[in-house]
Amino acid sequence: MAAKLRVFGIRHHGPGSARRLVEALDELSPALVLIEGPADASELLPLLADPAMVPPVALLTYATDNPARASFWPFATYSPEYQAACWAKRRGAVMRFIDIPASSRLAPAKREGVSGGTPGEPSAEENAPTVESEPGSAHPIERDPIGALAAAGGYEDGESWWRDVIEENPEPSPVFGAIAEAMTALREAAPVPQGHEAAREAHMRLAIAKAAKESDGPIAVVCGAWHVPALEAKVPAGADRALLKNATKAKIVATFAPWTSPRLALASGYGAGVPRPGWCAHLWETPAGEIATRWLARIAAALRENGHLVSTASLIEAERLAVALASLRGRPAPGFEELREAAISCLCFGETLLWRTISPGLLLGSEVGSIPANVPLAPLLEDLAREQKRLRLKPEALDRELALDLRSESGAERSTLLHRLLLLGVNWGRLADAGRSRGTFRERWVLRWEPEFAVKLVENLVHGTTIAKAASGCLHARFSEARELKALADLVFAALTARLPDAVELGIAMLEKRAAQTSDCVELLAALPPLADTLRYGEARAADAAQLAALQTRILVQGALVLPYAARGLDASAAASLRAIIMNADAALRLAELGDDEHSAWRGALAALLKDTQATALIAGTAARLLYQAGELAPEEAALHLGRALSPGRAVAEAAGFFEGFFEGAGERLIHDKALRDAVDAWIQSLDGELFIEHLPLFRRAFANLDRMQRRRLLDALIGRATASLPGRELRPEAEAIWPRHLQRLGALLTGTLKTEKER
Amino acid sequence: MTVAQLPTEALRLPVEAVYAAELEALKRDDAQPKPQGWAMSPRAALIYLMGGKAADGTPISAKYVGDKRLIETAIATLATDRALLLLGMPGTAKSWVSEHLAAAVSGDSTLVIQCTAGTDENQIRYGWNYAQLLAHGPSRKALVQTPLLRAMEAGKLCRLEELTRMGSDVQDTLITVLSEKMMPVPELSTAVYAVRGFNVIATANNRDKGVNELSSALKRRFNVVVLPLPDDMEQEIGIVVKRVGEMSQALELPAPRNVAQEVARVVAIFRELRGGATLDGKVTLKSPSGTLSTAEAIGVVIGGLSHAAFFNGGALSAEGIAPNMVGAIVKDPVQDKVVLEEYLETVLKKRSDYAAYYHLLSDLV
Repeated sequence: MAAKLRVFGIRHHGPGSARRLVEALDELSPALVLIEGPADASELLPLLADPAMVPPVALLTYATDNPARASFWPFATYSPEYQAACWAKRRGAVMRFIDIPASSRLAPAKREGVSGGTPGEPSAEENAPTVESEPGSAHPIERDPIGALAAAGGYEDGESWWRDVIEENPEPSPVFGAIAEAMTALREAAPVPQGHEAAREAHMRLAIAKAAKESDGPIAVVCGAWHVPALEAKVPAGADRALLKNATKAKIVATFAPWTSPRLALASGYGAGVPRPGWCAHLWETPAGEIATRWLARIAAALRENGHLVSTASLIEAERLAVALASLRGRPAPGFEELREAAISCLCFGETLLWRTISPGLLLGSEVGSIPANVPLAPLLEDLAREQKRLRLKPEALDRELALDLRSESGAERSTLLHRLLLLGVNWGRLADAGRSRGTFRERWVLRWEPEFAVKLVENLVHGTTIAKAASGCLHARFSEARELKALADLVFAALTARLPDAVELGIAMLEKRAAQTSDCVELLAALPPLADTLRYGEARAADAAQLAALQTRILVQGALVLPYAARGLDASAAASLRAIIMNADAALRLAELGDDEHSAWRGALAALLKDTQATALIAGTAARLLYQAGELAPEEAALHLGRALSPGRAVAEAAGFFEGFFEGAGERLIHDKALRDAVDAWIQSLDGELFIEHLPLFRRAFANLDRMQRRRLLDALIGRATASLPGRELRPEAEAIWPRHLQRLGALLTGTLKTEKER
Repeated sequence: MTVAQLPTEALRLPVEAVYAAELEALKRDDAQPKPQGWAMSPRAALIYLMGGKAADGTPISAKYVGDKRLIETAIATLATDRALLLLGMPGTAKSWVSEHLAAAVSGDSTLVIQCTAGTDENQIRYGWNYAQLLAHGPSRKALVQTPLLRAMEAGKLCRLEELTRMGSDVQDTLITVLSEKMMPVPELSTAVYAVRGFNVIATANNRDKGVNELSSALKRRFNVVVLPLPDDMEQEIGIVVKRVGEMSQALELPAPRNVAQEVARVVAIFRELRGGATLDGKVTLKSPSGTLSTAEAIGVVIGGLSHAAFFNGGALSAEGIAPNMVGAIVKDPVQDKVVLEEYLETVLKKRSDYAAYYHLLSDLV
């Protein structure tokens, strides 16, 4: 080899190795920096080091014909790869990616056959966007060998192990030499890489050899520690070429997408992520001597923000405890675990729960990256353009009306696209008849394209690379923010209308969790109407529908159990709002297809309300009314309850509440329901004069919202004038014969089986 | 009193007497650095608590079964001369751990103050021997030393059991002792300064209602370690079966054959309600306000056993257990009832092998 070559094995997203890498680069001063990353995205490397690029960002490659097939390579400020790029840009060194090109990684199918890989490789990867910097490696040891070594050494946190074992090594030796040695030993015990892994390493070896021939100055190779022994191994170039021969290629586009620090975390499903991005960022930003002190200070700040008292003296004690713990465990300085345990013991008074409430903010961070304006076009925009072409929807800056028939394929697909865009905050279309969107098979939209929608789409790139994926990702984020059952149920409904099955699945799971946690009657009952809507309009797949129905039952049962307790001791406004919620829930339940058990649970709760002497009168009246409507309460019984509630022993305000609860909005019922009318009439007549006058304002209030016509009909009914029909109108004898046919036509019209000429 | 002076027929010996051989083995070749006043190094103390092997190969039994990190934090706290507060529900081995820590760190676990609502300052600081006081006037001789004062003078650990059960005003006498490591005796114009090795281990119950809250000034002077309930189902069933066996022998109740089966059901119900989720993790639940500790599960099964022995012809059945269970679960007549009803309707109703429990509990609620 002509030039001096050094291979630096790093830990992906390891602040410790990033710091050491910068020092090593300063020392070596290479003319060429080779970085592990898709070779065909090399021209984007200078852009990564652009000052306007604010990590966390991700390098994104996707197949031109199918943006859903995409790969992300995320970079944080403390990623050694990012620091290497910045170093090269500062020093004017040439930089290049050397890993296997994304074009062959994203090539459709038969990758296994070409590279001789294991047949069991997950095929899901073909379709799902993969997020990885060590793609396809199934073994955690290959993804993060340093983390694996740390775990073997009893450490939870790889960075603390790095510092204690690699950096604080009592016999000072070059860090990267030590890493290479450790990896050689590790790889001797591990199976020889196969398939894709072998091809990647072959490609990197060839790229390094080629660079060595071209370059005069020293060369630095920055790659995952696991690969160091393989890249330093002497393998004939011919053998490597054979591995890469006739690899299929796909046309790809490479660009950058803004990323978020929580997404760097392992928990978000990113294989080569870091468990605690917030801790890593802290390690990177803080001078080595102050790590413990400043970390504890940040914990204290987070606790104070949550309203907990933390004194400076406690901080001192926490640090002392951390140091003592480290020495008990035989570690040179307190690491992440020691600091956590000291913080729990001294600052959180032993409560792990308290730690768990503040730690996500500290550990995951909330940084959102941003990308410069001159990066290539984002795939979401391309996907939208493609969808627009396919569905023949042109973006226009003018208002344009669009009526969609959801029974036709194209209508449904257009509606789905518009609904998905709405979820992404791109209000290209607005529903003209807002409210119930799938109550009918018809939707009316008003379309108007605004330029800022493009920006919105780029922002949404963080959620996914296609409209469908981004909308689903966006819903995922909103699910985790939603606090109330109703909000969750609404989101599930939105996910169903936008046809996002995986979001629906997650939403149902979240609903279940939340339903178990809450015992707030109002929250439980308020969730029933959207759930019933969701079930009724049949958008859900069978499996989801079954789950939703079970959930609805469960929420119903829970709500029914707590309803009697929730109805006690309410003031006027709380009672009125609970009444509205009960009425809505009851209306929803009457429309839902429920089993006998559920009906009886709900009615049992209403009956309990009626019996409970502590229940607020308005609610008890409402319960009586609903039970009566459902046929559970005979007219005489209803009258009996009314009589009891309005007996002289009870306070007038309470009596009025019961009466109002029963009759509010039910004037019509009195006109048509003879049994009830008779019962109430009998009761009123049984009152003696004085009591009657006392209750008069009450009756007046109950009948005040009947209009004149209704009042007159009520009166007519009472004194027995012309019973069923309107006064002055008579039934024609021949009408009786026409009526059945008329009814049939009406029915057909209403169910939509009969179409008028205009509709065709 | 030293170990040698203890009567051999004592009902229960202090742990330093019971485990004298293990403690001796750990001290013998203890090469690790020792904080001043400690009988053994922190690492040896950790082995004593968690079990393992002494330097000479003597096997050391585990005194605490659970998370090693908690014990590490506890020992590290004592090594920083900060006071240690062990919090936890009843039956989570708080006193057991504190006794063993005292035995390991200062070789003496007998300096104990049992705090109650009737504990006054004289039992914490010092009292007066009135005969001496009248005869000779105030002097050190007339002072009655409390375990705390003796621990300060001897450089040992003092244990305060159930700290939160004594009044807040009495608790606060500890503040000076904990922060300045001295106890003023104004009557004699003097003060007692703690010798190195002195420290305090307090235990307190964090679930009981009606106990005195720690003042924040005092709370700040403790490092707190919360001892959790066992997180492994099998381990908990094992503990319950073992304790039930021991207790039924002591009470001379014959143990029916199906004890293990019923214990598994009781523990399962307790764990589900306590943990707020079904054991398969599929359904989340609400937890009642009570603790539902392992100790209560033991009580429920013992109640069932006595029902079986006296009323049910010796067969342990749901009829005997369910009433005790309601008592353990429903501590708050409104809230807990709803929690239990919900659990019955959403979970137990669907399990055929729990049908007896479902019906009995539903009837009782």
